[in-house]
Amino acid sequence: MSEFIMNNKNIPTIPFILLGFILCAVGGAAVVMTLVNGHEAMYGVTRDVPWGLLISTYAYFVIISTGIAFIGGLAHAFGFEKYALISKRIVVLAVVILLAGFTQILMEVGSPLKMIYMMISPNFKAPIFWMGLFYGIELVILAFELFLVFRKKSSHWIAALTGFLALFVGVLATSNLGYVFGSLSAKAWYHGIYFSVFLVVSGVTAGAGVLVLVHYIVYKGRVPAGISDSLTSLGKLMGGGIGVMSFLYLWKMISSISTSPGDAQVAAQALISGAMSINFWAGEILLAVVIPLLLIMTAKGRVGNIALAGFVFLIGLFFTRYDFVIAGQLPLVKEGFIGSVQLASYKPSMAEWLIYLFGFGVFFLLYFSAEKFLNLETEHH
Amino acid sequence: MERRLFIKGLGAITLITALPFTDALALDGYHHVDPVRDGRPKKKHNYAMVIVQNRCIGCKACELSCKKTWNLSEKPENYRTKVMYIGKAQSFNYRRSWMPVLCNQCDNPPCVSVCPTSASYKREEDGIILVDPKKCIGCKTCMAGCPYDARYYDERIHSVDKCTFCQPRLEKGLEPACVENCLMGARVFGDLNDPESDVSKLLRKAMSYHVLKPEEGTKCNVFYTTRT
Repeated sequence: MSEFIMNNKNIPTIPFILLGFILCAVGGAAVVMTLVNGHEAMYGVTRDVPWGLLISTYAYFVIISTGIAFIGGLAHAFGFEKYALISKRIVVLAVVILLAGFTQILMEVGSPLKMIYMMISPNFKAPIFWMGLFYGIELVILAFELFLVFRKKSSHWIAALTGFLALFVGVLATSNLGYVFGSLSAKAWYHGIYFSVFLVVSGVTAGAGVLVLVHYIVYKGRVPAGISDSLTSLGKLMGGGIGVMSFLYLWKMISSISTSPGDAQVAAQALISGAMSINFWAGEILLAVVIPLLLIMTAKGRVGNIALAGFVFLIGLFFTRYDFVIAGQLPLVKEGFIGSVQLASYKPSMAEWLIYLFGFGVFFLLYFSAEKFLNLETEHH
Repeated sequence: MERRLFIKGLGAITLITALPFTDALALDGYHHVDPVRDGRPKKKHNYAMVIVQNRCIGCKACELSCKKTWNLSEKPENYRTKVMYIGKAQSFNYRRSWMPVLCNQCDNPPCVSVCPTSASYKREEDGIILVDPKKCIGCKTCMAGCPYDARYYDERIHSVDKCTFCQPRLEKGLEPACVENCLMGARVFGDLNDPESDVSKLLRKAMSYHVLKPEEGTKCNVFYTTRT
């Protein structure tokens, strides 16, 4: 199948590039200050809560990236032609969002230069080693896919294989990221296979949301009929994904609350009725589930509604990521042996918020520069 | 006569049923740390510490000596060992209100298995867990994975730091600083492979003892007792 889609030269890129510049400048200042003053002086993470906003943002970005790559894999390797019509933007978005995620992890770890030791003296038992390896390979695969989609002529067979590898390695990377948390038996909220599954599903769901939203923006609301069907199909994928996520989350909550007494229960209570309840009800439930589902169900093929659903869902999903990372650390491990129940507290510092914005700045700057200077319309497949 | 026989029979059955659990009841404490019987790796030395909780008066000399010996940062949360206070509401026994904590030098250490660069490692010869600051990337997974809150990130060395049982002092034939400076003898250190060491004798003599969070299956080498 092949379909020519009119080249869209009238893309509103400049405001987004400017926004990207501003966020990169402000966030970049925080990056420099953190490199000079050190994490201890600049970050709000503590001995009790060693993983904070930046780990959450890292997970947010890289899981969306692999979700987008998953959709690209469906297009190239499994013949979902509707998605193939937007394959250039799929690959560019996956690469840019992955890079945005890498900015966060580089600023989160204490000594990123020492990551060379992951190659010199790797610990094959450590899930975080595999996570790093898989995301590294994913970047290489996506870079090759990028090369392929911009080539005038490329073998369909190679494109299919590359798409499949991006999907496969992306799922491995994301499920392994879930296992970085899931392997920690000291943290009952994280422990188990739940997050390995949940993160993959939420990544594909978010990937669909990003693709619809970005296309709606670049076409300024007037999406050509050729790709309107693709976006409507992505809307259905997003709706289904939110449904599966809600189902998984419901059982996670039920199993955590009924695990009494235990740290998983304490974490769940902190979300439902404790310190993080506003995040949970307003962010995770309203923005990530209720509003997007309502918008998708009432869309009736209107891409605008689906794009809005994607936008709201992407905001809500950030709360889901943040809450999951933080809630798991709130029950203090030492409380287990001194016999009292106190919760840790964590509040991101200003520097952490600015570096968080830096990640978004990198995304806006790189992606809309690509829109500005490259032709991201998929002309044939 | 029949009733007597019944009671005797009941007693015999109770004894037979209870026999397999006598080890779990810690009547013979040393068996709990037998490297063969509970699947611990064999080591040249099996260094361990016994905390006699009812001897601890909460003076925190151990905390201070540790900080001084290893020149730890002033930041309160940067400690290798800490004396935790167990509120009186939880205990009517004043002498049980203090709980010194430190790295348990686990024989099945979760911190080592999650370290991506092998910066955290367990010495085969004596089971002490160390961190190589040169390799530590500061991902803090070991901190999140430790069930005992035994680790912290030291910005000055750009690495996670933890108790080492004062390994450099051991090599000089000295005891750990916290043990040497404990006013009440609440911390006892030694080699479990040596039946005549203080820890072996203490565990043999103790009416009961326990490790922290045994459900984690970490096989700790720090033991707590109040009944010596």
